[in-house]
Amino acid sequence: MRRRLRAARTWIILIVGALLGIALAGLNQTGRGPLALLPGRDVTWQTVESRGVWRVGMDPSFPPFETLDAAGAPAGYDVDLARSMAEIWGVEAEIVAIGYDSLLDALQTGQVDSVISALPYDPRETKDFRFSAAYFDAGVMLATDETSVIRAPEDLTGRTVAVEWGSSGDMIARRLARDGIDLTLAQYATPDEVIEGLVRDDGVDAALIDHVTLRQAQGRGEPILAAGESLESAPYVIASPIRAPQMAARIDAALEALKNDGSLAEIETRWFGPLPEEPATP
Amino acid sequence: MHRLKSIQRARLRTLIAAGAAAGALLLILLWRPWQARQTVNLGPQQEVITLNPKMGVHTRLTDEVEEWKIKRTLEMVREMGAPWIVEYFPWGYIQPEPERWKWTHSDQIISHANRQGLTVVARLGFVPEWARPKESTPLYLDEEHFADFGRFAAEFAARYAGQVDYLIIWNEPNLALEWGYDHVDPAKYAEMLRVVYPMIKAANPDITVLAGALAPTLAPAGSQDAMNDLAYLQALYDAGAGPYFDMLAIHAYGWRFPPDEPAAADAVNYRRAELLREIMAANGDGDKQAMITEGGWNDHPRWTRAVRPGQRIAYTERAYEIAQDEWPWMTAVAMWAFRYPWDQKSYQDYFTFVDTEFEPKPIYEEIQRYAKEGPNAVADPALSASPSQNAGGQ
Repeated sequence: MRRRLRAARTWIILIVGALLGIALAGLNQTGRGPLALLPGRDVTWQTVESRGVWRVGMDPSFPPFETLDAAGAPAGYDVDLARSMAEIWGVEAEIVAIGYDSLLDALQTGQVDSVISALPYDPRETKDFRFSAAYFDAGVMLATDETSVIRAPEDLTGRTVAVEWGSSGDMIARRLARDGIDLTLAQYATPDEVIEGLVRDDGVDAALIDHVTLRQAQGRGEPILAAGESLESAPYVIASPIRAPQMAARIDAALEALKNDGSLAEIETRWFGPLPEEPATP
Repeated sequence: MHRLKSIQRARLRTLIAAGAAAGALLLILLWRPWQARQTVNLGPQQEVITLNPKMGVHTRLTDEVEEWKIKRTLEMVREMGAPWIVEYFPWGYIQPEPERWKWTHSDQIISHANRQGLTVVARLGFVPEWARPKESTPLYLDEEHFADFGRFAAEFAARYAGQVDYLIIWNEPNLALEWGYDHVDPAKYAEMLRVVYPMIKAANPDITVLAGALAPTLAPAGSQDAMNDLAYLQALYDAGAGPYFDMLAIHAYGWRFPPDEPAAADAVNYRRAELLREIMAANGDGDKQAMITEGGWNDHPRWTRAVRPGQRIAYTERAYEIAQDEWPWMTAVAMWAFRYPWDQKSYQDYFTFVDTEFEPKPIYEEIQRYAKEGPNAVADPALSASPSQNAGGQ
């Protein structure tokens, strides 16, 4: 009788153990299971390490983030960012040129290990990809000249605001107007004309423009400042496969390191030019 | 005696409990159908006020679950000044089984659209599983099931007689993708029209049947993916499809070209519609009308076929104007796409007039102004260097 009981107990332990094993293996297939967190389980990161090459997908058609230089080689903010991160890990960054609309497909099918391509964060894609912390916010900013007292949208009452006709900045300005801020819109055909309108002071008090346009203008030496944070955030992030938790963790750690040691700011200055100096507060 | 009474009382209690349980069960059973019925008040009958009665948009209500959002979408279309909508009514959603019909969602769309004073153009397609082979896509239909599709289309035409006066049969049959990845075959599509058209007309003789719009494409001869739209239309006539449609649906995307870019066989632009019209006339269909059921421009910052947001506004306004002033053979122009139920998170979001939260984009307000005031009512910054100034953004 006792032997039977012992045999039954052994069988139960074996069956439960097998089921647990199957469940863990199944969970791990998703890349979200507990085994994925164990060292050495991230195939993407393991491959990058063993290969010594980090394959980064990028559409080189969006300067200054990514473009092709005179020799046809990829160059830009994102290229330097990739190389700086790779340097931290002791590997080489290989830029793989892919059309913008196919970048995430290429990541999903394993053609590249990560994507860095002025890629806006998309919460809906988090079921399939891991996204890093933001390294640049391209959202719409309120821009003014250096002497302006405008610091926030509420200060726009009675003011003239330059926007690119039909753009996100235009949409936000119209929203502010609907919300009761009595502003006058000055609509221009292109972002560069918006900057010109603000700088040459043809009755324009402020502009609502995307951060990339603003930063480029600042880099050219235009005396304009961002008043506050972006009014509608559009963070650029780095994407990795969902089954690559270690890859994603290392990307975040490298970004943090580059931010802390000033490298990220250096890359920004290299591709956008220097920021104007903030006016001294009285 | 006392025991008998207590037994009776116990039985009564059991009976009441059983009755309550049955009632609750009935309520649960009835709850879903009751919920599915129209619950949002239609509101008063409205009319569209516009200076250009040919203005339209393609709505995307197929996957819009909440009825109030259907109503709000259609209200905003009316308020923009567009009297026409094109909407997709998937066969597979409405007739999921041969004898099972689910009309609730299409009833909602059509009743709200009618109440807003909008003219509905219904595009039919999307084959249910029971009418196609396993492993095929919902865009595949073999000839044995043309009559099934005809029955569905006829039921649709009869149900909405007086509410829907225009039906489009299929979509972009010159693309392998839209033809269930089968070999693109104008003769097979002509046969579909020959079967389906008389069934629809028998159900509702007053309805206008549109041949499906062709995808504008410069695909080379022999391509596995697509057939050139001009070649396809001629082949359709050659296959004898002429008597089996009353109007031609057209897709007219401008890509990076302005709307006044002249039509050319080797270019995809807005005026390519004129070339399709020439083929109609050459085949004896010069008296028939056409309708643009998709078209327009995109203002995504990175998509290679996109234009600047201001250009998109100016081009869209001009495109409506061309249809009104120059194309008497064009019944309406429905731009793609008014709003998506959710963000596509791709260049597709930059085709829309309002965002998913119903916030109007600048193009919505500018087209609304065009519908009220006509063209050139305001200086056009996309076409001049000096800024246009508007108090309060209006």
